[in-house]
Amino acid sequence: MFGLKAIELIKEAKRSQEGTLPPYNEEGIRKVLEEMRALFEQNQAEVNEALEGDQDLFVGIQIRHVALEQNKRCILAYLNHRLETIKQLRWELGSVLPQDVKQNLTTPEAQWFSKYSKGLAKYMRSLGNQGGVDLTLDVRPPKTLHIQVRCLEDHGEFETQDGNIILLKKNSQHFLLRSECEHLIRQGILEHIIT
Amino acid sequence: MYVRDLKTDFYDRIQQQRLLILVSLDVDSLCACKILQSLFQCDQVLHTIIPVTGKQSLERAYLENSEGVKFVLLLNCGATFDIIETLRPDDGVVFFICDNHLPVHLNSIFNQVQVQILGKEDDTENLPEFTDLFRDSDDEEDEEEVRRPVFNRTHHITLQDDSGDDSDSSQPKRKKFDEKSLMKKRDKRLWEQKRRELVFQYEEFSKYGTSVAFVMYELAWKMSKDTNDLLWLAIVGITEQYVNGKVERDRYMEGLQFLQGHVSRLNHWSEDEENTLSVDCLRISFETELRLCLFRHWSLFESLCHSQYTACKFKVWTLKGKKRLHEFLAEMGLPLVQCKQKYSSMEVHLRDSIKEMMTKFIEKYGIHEHDLFLPSFLASYGYKNRFCASDVVRVCATLLESMEKDVTPSDSFFRALDVLNRKCTSVMEVGLEQAKLQQKAIVTQVQSFLDMNQIISAGPFLYALVQEGTPDGKYFSNPLCLVRLARFTLEAYCAMSKNKRVRNLPLVIGASLDSDLGVMLVAGIPPISDSKCINCFGKAFEQAASSTNSRVNQDSFDSHVMELKTEDRSKFFDALISLLH
Repeated sequence: MFGLKAIELIKEAKRSQEGTLPPYNEEGIRKVLEEMRALFEQNQAEVNEALEGDQDLFVGIQIRHVALEQNKRCILAYLNHRLETIKQLRWELGSVLPQDVKQNLTTPEAQWFSKYSKGLAKYMRSLGNQGGVDLTLDVRPPKTLHIQVRCLEDHGEFETQDGNIILLKKNSQHFLLRSECEHLIRQGILEHIIT
Repeated sequence: MYVRDLKTDFYDRIQQQRLLILVSLDVDSLCACKILQSLFQCDQVLHTIIPVTGKQSLERAYLENSEGVKFVLLLNCGATFDIIETLRPDDGVVFFICDNHLPVHLNSIFNQVQVQILGKEDDTENLPEFTDLFRDSDDEEDEEEVRRPVFNRTHHITLQDDSGDDSDSSQPKRKKFDEKSLMKKRDKRLWEQKRRELVFQYEEFSKYGTSVAFVMYELAWKMSKDTNDLLWLAIVGITEQYVNGKVERDRYMEGLQFLQGHVSRLNHWSEDEENTLSVDCLRISFETELRLCLFRHWSLFESLCHSQYTACKFKVWTLKGKKRLHEFLAEMGLPLVQCKQKYSSMEVHLRDSIKEMMTKFIEKYGIHEHDLFLPSFLASYGYKNRFCASDVVRVCATLLESMEKDVTPSDSFFRALDVLNRKCTSVMEVGLEQAKLQQKAIVTQVQSFLDMNQIISAGPFLYALVQEGTPDGKYFSNPLCLVRLARFTLEAYCAMSKNKRVRNLPLVIGASLDSDLGVMLVAGIPPISDSKCINCFGKAFEQAASSTNSRVNQDSFDSHVMELKTEDRSKFFDALISLLH
């Protein structure tokens, strides 16, 4: 039946966890494209025959055309889903992606990512009076300015905005400015303690 | 120096600066730490919390984290030794010490600038006068060779512990006939002697003062920031002190009465029919609690067999004792089947009438109501969670001394901190199971002590040693658990022994700490008859060790617990016997 492979792609995208990027399914995409090419060639041939007067062929052409459209939508949805995920990753992980995530990107995707990063950085710089505003911080409005964090691994010294130096050593608990330690929490060095 | 007003002299001062908090590993300081955390969260005081296990780890933690820190708060550590001498901080650094260990070191009390003690001044007894301890150095400027207490530029006072009696010989001859200087010297010698006596008197016994959680709760209350959660922490704090025999019953009742007022003030909600509180909120109620360990989460029978008081009264390790226990249950009309299943699955009408029935029948078995029941508090939230204060203490203490592999003391510190957090019920359940195992291990050990006659009377004290290679031996390499074992052992021994004199004997207990290094842990506890909870072993251990050159490590903040090289054991104990005679 037509369109099965495309549906597989969609299912795969749906199965992947929120916020994670599975490897680009090149094999799947290629198979769908092959199917589409076959459909298209068959249609081309039959359209020519139909124009010569064979009325019975129109039904088949119609069906193949719908299948073609369906496949196209599925592929676009798959790609768009990946694009949105990559965009989300930029907001969550920052402009440098971890190695394991990077490996799952195709070359065009990686190019798009760096362009998107650049664009975003440029926009953030232009905001505010000088220095710009980091929009990736505080995606949701924070409840408190300071938070309790516990150190999960030895990180070494960390200089806070007010010039104090704090030693982030495994198993110490600190009460810090949220904005300062948010990126450390994302990196998994600190753990936010909710009481 | 004692801080008079906690709010103005302590809390308002630390607002602007980042605070370093060093917390010792015990339940009371955990509670205090938790209370402070919530206060600091309200007022956005930046702070760093580091758990410390002993004096060395305290020094290390201070060195690592002292950069840029102006204020340091020590919870349940640092009062019993000279903190300035040990840490050698910069001039501007101020130490706030909140410690229930007594006696507080004299230098800390009389240091006006760098050491601030948060606590009750009336806890200290036999405090010598300032003039008896420190002499003005002005009139002695000519006698340079006599070492004397000096005031250095930070107003920090250096105490002199060693005697300066041999200084006469170096005196130039011409001065020998100078009557005035001779008089002066005689005066000085007398003064020094008196001073030594006073200091000894002051430091002879170690004991415990007011719970630090209690002190912190008072602070919160004065600032109108007290909530039911903080109150519960304070309750756990004072309960810990009483349950572990750190304070006498009168002191506990005093604290209890104070807290009871707060409990009724903060929990009047539930009585009103119209604005009832949601079940998920914490509710504290006053309750006369059975002193059976963990019975709400165990079966009644197991709990009776494993609780210190009932186990010793019934002597459950003997056949006769087991019979008596069964008899007791039968007389109360509790079916064994019910007693041996989980308390929560017992029939409700039995559960409700347990206390009543027990009061009726205990007297026949020589159990005093006063000892079996303890006025305490019960916290409940949700439908499932009901905890009494002493159970929380036990779970918390067990988690602090976790036996799992690859768990460092600081890991377990934070685990235990989480238990005090109401939302972590999963940790609580793990802790409950571990606490049961630990209690079982203690009872088994006590039984084997008694069966093998391993409790030896050494004259002035009793003495027991956990044999190396005992399956549960690993539990007793932790100080809190070892002290608990010691108390259980002593009570059991007194119950079994016909000799009345044993009630007046203290107990020293030893357990292997690290068999590869050949180190053992030694702890001493006061006798049963002692009602004041004062412990003489801190000083005694120190003197016995120095007189025999035993290799010891008095690293713990509790001076009656120390590490000893196994090879030096016999000579150390010989010295201890002759010392206490």
